[in-house]
Amino acid sequence: MLLEIKDIDVRYGRNHAVKTISLNIEQGEIVTVLGANGAGKSSLLKAVQGMVRLSGGNIIFDGEDISRWSAPKRVQNGISLVPEGRQIFVSMSVEDNLLMGAYSRKEGDISAEIEAVFERFPNLKERRHMSAAVLSGGEQQMLAVGRAMLARPKIMMLDEPSLGLSPLLVKQLFELIKELNDNGLSILLVEQNTHMALQYADRGYVLELGDIVASGTPDKLLADEKLTEAYLGGG
Amino acid sequence: MLLAQQIINGLMLGSVYVMVAVAFTLTIGMLNFLNFTIPALFMVAAMITWAATAAGFHWLVGASLGMVVAIIASLIIERFTYRYMKAKYGDATEHALPLVSSLGFLIIFEHVVIMIWGTDPMSFNSPFANAQFVIAGLIFAIPQLISLALSVALVFALSLLLKKTQLGRALRSIAEKPDTATLMGVDVGRIVPVVFMMTGFLCALAGILFTINYKNVSPYIGDHVATNAIAGMVIGGLGNIWGAIAGGLIIGMVEVLSIHFWGAEIIKVPVWGLMLLILVFRPTGLFGHTRIGKGKF
Repeated sequence: MLLEIKDIDVRYGRNHAVKTISLNIEQGEIVTVLGANGAGKSSLLKAVQGMVRLSGGNIIFDGEDISRWSAPKRVQNGISLVPEGRQIFVSMSVEDNLLMGAYSRKEGDISAEIEAVFERFPNLKERRHMSAAVLSGGEQQMLAVGRAMLARPKIMMLDEPSLGLSPLLVKQLFELIKELNDNGLSILLVEQNTHMALQYADRGYVLELGDIVASGTPDKLLADEKLTEAYLGGG
Repeated sequence: MLLAQQIINGLMLGSVYVMVAVAFTLTIGMLNFLNFTIPALFMVAAMITWAATAAGFHWLVGASLGMVVAIIASLIIERFTYRYMKAKYGDATEHALPLVSSLGFLIIFEHVVIMIWGTDPMSFNSPFANAQFVIAGLIFAIPQLISLALSVALVFALSLLLKKTQLGRALRSIAEKPDTATLMGVDVGRIVPVVFMMTGFLCALAGILFTINYKNVSPYIGDHVATNAIAGMVIGGLGNIWGAIAGGLIIGMVEVLSIHFWGAEIIKVPVWGLMLLILVFRPTGLFGHTRIGKGKF
């Protein structure tokens, strides 16, 4: 088991965002978490990254209890989050954004890996010295994924990566996620684009108001009529 | 000729404002925090340089001690203004509390110094009193030239640091998006004190150079220098370290030329009048960015 989330709670004041839920991810899996706005999906990812404090439960990663680790320590040990809205540093160049991705790294040939990211995304290479503010939404998403890759994660979490992208770009993005996964990266994907997410995921969880209401393989989730109607956009 | 000499004097005085303005602009640009203890850091370094020299130590002993005390004081301020508010309320940048507590520190520091040494201005026995040369009838004091060169060199070094180094990128990432910086693995709680150490260093250096150049210290010199530095920072553009050079030097010249033309009583009026005029016509300052607030490096 790569990541084991056991009975975690997240509260913001009186708002109980994540209600004692458990889920896990095996090495090499793509797991998707689906649900409407406010279901607690982003809070779940932030809790795994260490950006919000747990008010209960444990997170075991790679055999170690990381519940009390700081977010930077989790990054260093192989957990990376591509945040909602991409959160590119627009005051920096494209290349500096990638260098920020490698911030926690102490070893390895970072410049070779940056070149590898540029090989993968030629659009970014052309603009490497330009401000990241000039990138289109799709390019920003690629930069956000490339930036997360440079941390050399064992698991990459993506929060609504397809939001605001054209259907063609969404397709490219999911192909990229699949390719990274084929190379051994485990993926925890939060999506509202349930159709695409279930097409690529090995397993899925459905979250409602901080609770897991269903889980299983994409086939099983899609076969549940009530579920598809209520949460999965009518299939 | 006299006017040319005044312009030179203005630039030299301005170079001290530049360092203090850079200190202000760093904490504003990085943390959106107007750090009111900056005058105290300046004054404490100046007073310690004077006191140690008056007690018979080499001036370098006093200067080093002043530098160390200012940097430590700055770290204490970070702990009890910025970090405390952040831990307590989640974000220290969104309200005025750190500003008010830094004002409290300013007053306490000043009055501790007054309790020890009183309020009278003290004269500093400069070891470089006669270190000067004359070109075409214009006098250049060597310590003042060194201040000018140092302040420009420091801004150069700082801008290189911000642009080219890992630490610089971390600082810029915190300035723009602190949460995303954390996601990249930046330990914000360890990097922010670096800004305060830089603040302490710049203010102390300015205070020491001011003491050597103008041979006069008092518990209130920080107020005068720092308010002028704030005006310089605003004229140059909040959060812009290159603007701080221009703004600091402009204020130095305006101050000296105002004394030349209108006398010493009126100097605050042209300095602050110019700042207000620039705020009306260019709210972002001469070299400022379009955004007021965080993330402007």
